[in-house]
Amino acid sequence: MTQETQAQLRGLVVHPEDNVVNLVGPGEAGRTVHCVVEGRDEAEQIELRDDIPSNHKLARRDIAVGEAIVKYGLSIGKASAAIDRGEHVHVHNIESNRGRGDLQG
Amino acid sequence: MEHRFNGYVRDDGQVGIRNHILLLSATLYANSTCERVAHTVQNTIPIVHPLGRCQIAPDLEQTFRTLVGHGVNPNAGAVVVVDHFKEAGCEAETIAHEIAKTGKPVEVVNIRRSGGAIQATMELTKHAVALNREITGQRREEVGLDALVYGINCGTSDVTSGLAQNRVVGWVTDRVVEAGGRVIGAETTEMMGGEDQIRARATSSEVAERILGYVHRREQEILATGVDLRGSQPTGDNMAGGLSTIEEKSLGAMMKWGSAPIVGALDYAQRVGTESGLWLMDTPGHGGESITGIAAGGAQVMSFATGGGHTINHPLMITMRLTGNRESWQHMQETTELDVSGIFDDESLEEAGERLLAEVLAICDGRMTKAEALREWNAFAITRNGPSV
Repeated sequence: MTQETQAQLRGLVVHPEDNVVNLVGPGEAGRTVHCVVEGRDEAEQIELRDDIPSNHKLARRDIAVGEAIVKYGLSIGKASAAIDRGEHVHVHNIESNRGRGDLQG
Repeated sequence: MEHRFNGYVRDDGQVGIRNHILLLSATLYANSTCERVAHTVQNTIPIVHPLGRCQIAPDLEQTFRTLVGHGVNPNAGAVVVVDHFKEAGCEAETIAHEIAKTGKPVEVVNIRRSGGAIQATMELTKHAVALNREITGQRREEVGLDALVYGINCGTSDVTSGLAQNRVVGWVTDRVVEAGGRVIGAETTEMMGGEDQIRARATSSEVAERILGYVHRREQEILATGVDLRGSQPTGDNMAGGLSTIEEKSLGAMMKWGSAPIVGALDYAQRVGTESGLWLMDTPGHGGESITGIAAGGAQVMSFATGGGHTINHPLMITMRLTGNRESWQHMQETTELDVSGIFDDESLEEAGERLLAEVLAICDGRMTKAEALREWNAFAITRNGPSV
């Protein structure tokens, strides 16, 4: 492995109440993400369950179907499937609560 | 440290950061005449568009207001309005009359009255040369940030936007407002999900209700289409960049607002008021249409925060681009002025913010942006609500 891939994989938790983490750089399943929580000293360690592209989100804890996805301390949508800690969180398992013309009438 | 810049103080008290001659096309059929002369005479900027004719009344009024707003913008030291015949509701003479209230020189060229497109090209060329002689002797004067109307927008956003570049813009927003300046934010679609913050930060309930009314109307228009907004907002490139929902995009976009009070609501292309603070304008998420509304509102300079990188550039409101996505910086630095990806390593928000503010002030003093030097005149776009009729 090169120096680059051996470097620590980092994640950012923007708000202490968030249930998702932003990955800094791409990560492969099985690797450990050192998650820095805004305003806290110690990092949380989360093992990735999926290959995740750069800047995408992973679950900070298990999330049930229908539960709010929280980032910036606020809801950015809801889970459309059960999500395990360390799993990729994106359009395949989150739904927006807004702009849903397809659900009208 | 007190931040100051050198600009052109206009008769009406506005301060320009450029001293251009605007060749303002009143209707699409005058576009080519404006473009021909802009490629010939130095210091001229063409404002061209496909509108000004056969529009429903509210749209035609919006086109008129946008064109007048560009003539009034203090970066224009002089204006020539060009018309091909006579457009009811968007007449060159009426546009010129409104702009002339600023005290700046304004001329009109009518293609039919000139005797055709070739004669009009000659007449416009003569005006442009004479106006250059008239205005280019003006000197810059030192002013404070209270003279600044700072435009903020984002585009081709990704997850880095809300974590880095939009926060850096927000830091500068707060400095401009602290110094008595005004900031214009926009992109109503990206206020969906941020209603609580708008209520909490607006200085009056009237201002909050007007803005929430804009958001509600846009959302109703989206719902009326009968489709899921996702794919249009967030866009395909937003989603590739990791943004999953419009709420996530909105909350990241609103980082550009810093913590400044929201002092006013502006209709599309409406002139900004005199009060210092953050003004929010009703514009679509479409970057070109949004920043054109902000330019008509009176902003001299804009920070455009991008995730994927951008070429977007307004011809008159000097636009600088920044990104916090290192890969985008590598691909798109030919038209991007600032890299703030250091936020993900060890650069503090304040350090990155100081760098952005220094760049904005240098641009106000006359430093060209990369896209300005390239004459990337790609982002004059007037929004519309109805069809052509």
